[in-house]
Amino acid sequence: MTPDRKLRVLVAKPGLDGHDRGARVIAYGLRDAGFEVIYTGLRQSPEQIAREAIQEDVDAVGLSILSGAHMSLTGRVLDLLREQGAEDIPVLVGGLIPDQDREALCELGVAGVFTAGTPISEVADFIQSHAGA
Amino acid sequence: MRGTLAREPRALARLVSGVENRTPGWEDAMKALYPHTGKARILGITGPPGGGKSSLTNRLTAGLVDRGHRVGVIAIDPSSPFSGGALLGDRLRMRDVSTAPGVFIRSMATRGSLGGLCQGARDVARALDAAGYDLVLIETVGVGQDEVEIVKAADVVAVVCVPGQGDGVQALKAGIMEIADVYVVNKADRDGADQVAADIGAMLALSGEDTTDREMVFPTNSLSGEGVEPLTEALLDRAARVEHAPERVSERAREEVLLLVEREIARRVRAGLAEDPRLESAVEGVVTRRSDPYSAAEALLGLFGRMEVVTGE
Amino acid sequence: MARSTDELRRAEQRWRDEVVEPRVERFKIPASPVRFYTPDSVEDFDFLEKVGFPGQYPFTAGNHPFEAWRAHAEAGARLGAGGEYGMSSSGRYSGYGTAEDYRDYLLKIQALGSRSGPNVAFDLVTQCGYDSDSPNVVGEVGRVGVAVDSIRDFRTIYEPFTGDLAIDKVASNFTINAPCCVILAMLAVVAEERGAALDRIRGTPQNDILKEFIARGTQIFPPRPSMRLFRDTLVFCRSHFPAMNVNSIGGYHIREAGATRAQDLAFSMANGIAYLQEGVDAGLDVDDFAARFTFNSFGGSMQVYHEIAFQRAARRMWARILKERFSATNPRAMIIRQPITAHIGCTSTTLQRPLNNVARSVVGGMAAAMCGGMPSAYPPFDEPLGLGHSRESLQLSIDATRIMIYEAGMSDVADPWAGSYFMESLTDEIEAEAQEEIGRIEDMGGAVAAIENAYMPRSVARSAYERQRRIEQLEDFVVGVNCFNGERELDLSLERTADEFYDPEHLRTAEERQLVKLAELKRERSERSVSGALGALEIQAKDPDANVMPALIECVKSEATVQEMCDVMRGVFGEAEPIKL
Repeated sequence: MTPDRKLRVLVAKPGLDGHDRGARVIAYGLRDAGFEVIYTGLRQSPEQIAREAIQEDVDAVGLSILSGAHMSLTGRVLDLLREQGAEDIPVLVGGLIPDQDREALCELGVAGVFTAGTPISEVADFIQSHAGA
Repeated sequence: MRGTLAREPRALARLVSGVENRTPGWEDAMKALYPHTGKARILGITGPPGGGKSSLTNRLTAGLVDRGHRVGVIAIDPSSPFSGGALLGDRLRMRDVSTAPGVFIRSMATRGSLGGLCQGARDVARALDAAGYDLVLIETVGVGQDEVEIVKAADVVAVVCVPGQGDGVQALKAGIMEIADVYVVNKADRDGADQVAADIGAMLALSGEDTTDREMVFPTNSLSGEGVEPLTEALLDRAARVEHAPERVSERAREEVLLLVEREIARRVRAGLAEDPRLESAVEGVVTRRSDPYSAAEALLGLFGRMEVVTGE
Repeated sequence: MARSTDELRRAEQRWRDEVVEPRVERFKIPASPVRFYTPDSVEDFDFLEKVGFPGQYPFTAGNHPFEAWRAHAEAGARLGAGGEYGMSSSGRYSGYGTAEDYRDYLLKIQALGSRSGPNVAFDLVTQCGYDSDSPNVVGEVGRVGVAVDSIRDFRTIYEPFTGDLAIDKVASNFTINAPCCVILAMLAVVAEERGAALDRIRGTPQNDILKEFIARGTQIFPPRPSMRLFRDTLVFCRSHFPAMNVNSIGGYHIREAGATRAQDLAFSMANGIAYLQEGVDAGLDVDDFAARFTFNSFGGSMQVYHEIAFQRAARRMWARILKERFSATNPRAMIIRQPITAHIGCTSTTLQRPLNNVARSVVGGMAAAMCGGMPSAYPPFDEPLGLGHSRESLQLSIDATRIMIYEAGMSDVADPWAGSYFMESLTDEIEAEAQEEIGRIEDMGGAVAAIENAYMPRSVARSAYERQRRIEQLEDFVVGVNCFNGERELDLSLERTADEFYDPEHLRTAEERQLVKLAELKRERSERSVSGALGALEIQAKDPDANVMPALIECVKSEATVQEMCDVMRGVFGEAEPIKL
């Protein structure tokens, strides 16, 4: 690792859900923790997210979903990353995720699930430890 | 490297990271890439915050793709001086082209390195060039020295202004206006757009620059797309002229080589002195006021005569 | 003769020196952790100017001497003794799956005694102006609300409403903003089909597009054309739906998105001013149309005193805006009509030890009772679990409300804090802070300009981050989250055992069934009449002085879809730009 190395994270809101409080807070928080955060705003399609993750060569992708559509949207992002040979990029999911779906998300290949009340430092540490830096 | 030349997005993205992070071996990669570069024209887009630069970049890119170009976009935002992190949000305005084939968008933070932005952006542009992107748009926020630097990497620079920014034009005069090849008055549907265009015209007249042979000011509306077409024409036209301006080309090459030397020396000085007890004792001398910063620097500079610090031996 | 201010100040100073300071020193803390207020805190307090009587300008003490629900509260309890009263909250926000699923749900709660009109949650696909077969909506159909693609779906929703619950006898609520004009057109068409006179139709569409840009994110068109569509709905409502409310102005959502109290108040007022101005510019009489504005449950924090002061300040500010700025004379046009007043907001509930949310919601209900609202213990405790409200949580919520009303007598006094040195001073403080923020927005050119330059959405995001920072730094405390969260605390749980109103199986298959219906629609309808109606809509949309509503009604009748209508308008108006952080 060189001194210039910065961890890069894509924070995205897939689907139509417009509640972006969590995504914005995480974006600010990771920036202040020294990350370079690529924030892409609302209504991102899984295709856009996968492409952005690859072009930006991020160390992690954070998806924020509160609409209940987390299973299908996350699954699609993971599939697309896999198809493009980028399954090594860890995908984190935050938002309103019922307990019973946590495990299912992890089985799909999600690296971590973070719900309301998680301190940003915990997310930052998680990304750091998964980035292989 | 090979992946980049084969136009594999992931390989290109990783190469860009390596170049940006100065990962060991990056220079070798750039050396190997250089023969494959030189085909791309580089367009700089800058101006004060809130001018709609990202939306304009989105529009320009869409138009260029329609003309059959492969377009690379480097969107630069400032790093936080406190945490070193950055919030890179430009590509959120580039949705029309974010999944278009033949477009590669990369967000870049300034990282506050000394004159490094220009070199970093130039290297990234070169990587895009090698990967077959024949036009590279570099978008920066025109508020600081870093952004003015960008002109050194671009073949043509557009400065974007909008009406309703108060003393915007006044502020521009002080800095980035001098670097413009063309001026864009974006959000031209708003009140005051004509005034901004007139102000720029007056400023150009005062500067004494001869602009009679070409249009300098372009009104656009990046939301509706109005005015983007003539601007695209003008940018491509100016960029093509650079090829026929050997002085500008050699001036830029000279600047680049000098800058690389400067940066490497600066890096070696810092690396070499980092652990050197002589630096510590010089610092202590300044702090306890036994010595002064000027004498301390002079004494350390003496070491370079023997090149022991510079060569790191 | 009252004692002089000087005398009071001297006494206060003596008290500080002789009583407070020794105690502060004894406990070795930098300052007293509590404050005390005196008449000096509300200098030149003029009761009639600042407070007035409940139901009179400036309405600080309340919209009415007593609220409508309070009039027969005791009679209601006697009726409820041993009777079937369990579904009295059935007017609540609902909607899921296909229109058929939602219809069946409505029938089910009617069988349980519901007498309310539909309070419709639309799915995000409809809210964002897409159809269920749009490629970018996979997984969202019928998810957070009911899927409505065309008049056929809308018609189905109203099937259960017949007889004494007919469409013109119940009040409908629609959580719809960007495509509000489309939904109102559907309502007009269904009412007409049912033979109901439009002037008998009651209801409230949310129709608050500005706060979508700030907080909720379902905007479709840029801010200025969005305001033109608001104007069209406003003018149409006043001329065709005189008994309908026009909108339900944010507040609630802005706070949930992270705004401070002052930002919430200022932004909501600034948005309200923008809507009022649209009506005035359209030549409508403010005394008439402003009386048809409503607000969406201002508030949303655990700071009980502040939330009470906030409601009082909000009522006074809105009344003054109407009277002083818009020269309104009709008192009904000056009041903040909202379903509940203070509450804690969903963001105050915690996923950790969720039963604690019952205690939290009661605090919010008490605040509501003390500022002129029904003491609703809102939201139900399982709100943050993301599973929908269980019947257990609804029962607890409504019983808590009943206990506050009937046992605690919380709703027996109007504005119980009126004249309190502390509360009047806090009310002034909140009003002044919001007023300053409104001034800033006015300087930018008003609410629309403060959205275009991203000022309002960014301010809200920064405040949300500041709140998170305060929680993580232990400057703000949340029980069970950042304090008292050790291993030895007991996590209580409550099993979901009662029958659900929703069938989760329906939710799983909704998208598939909706797509079949939509394909059927597209097969059966006349493409010619659809494209004719859409063409007429385009012409009307392009003319800034025209009203799109009549053209939309024709589109609805031709069985054009929500997305087809919105796409025509996207073509004319463009799309809203994403907001940068």
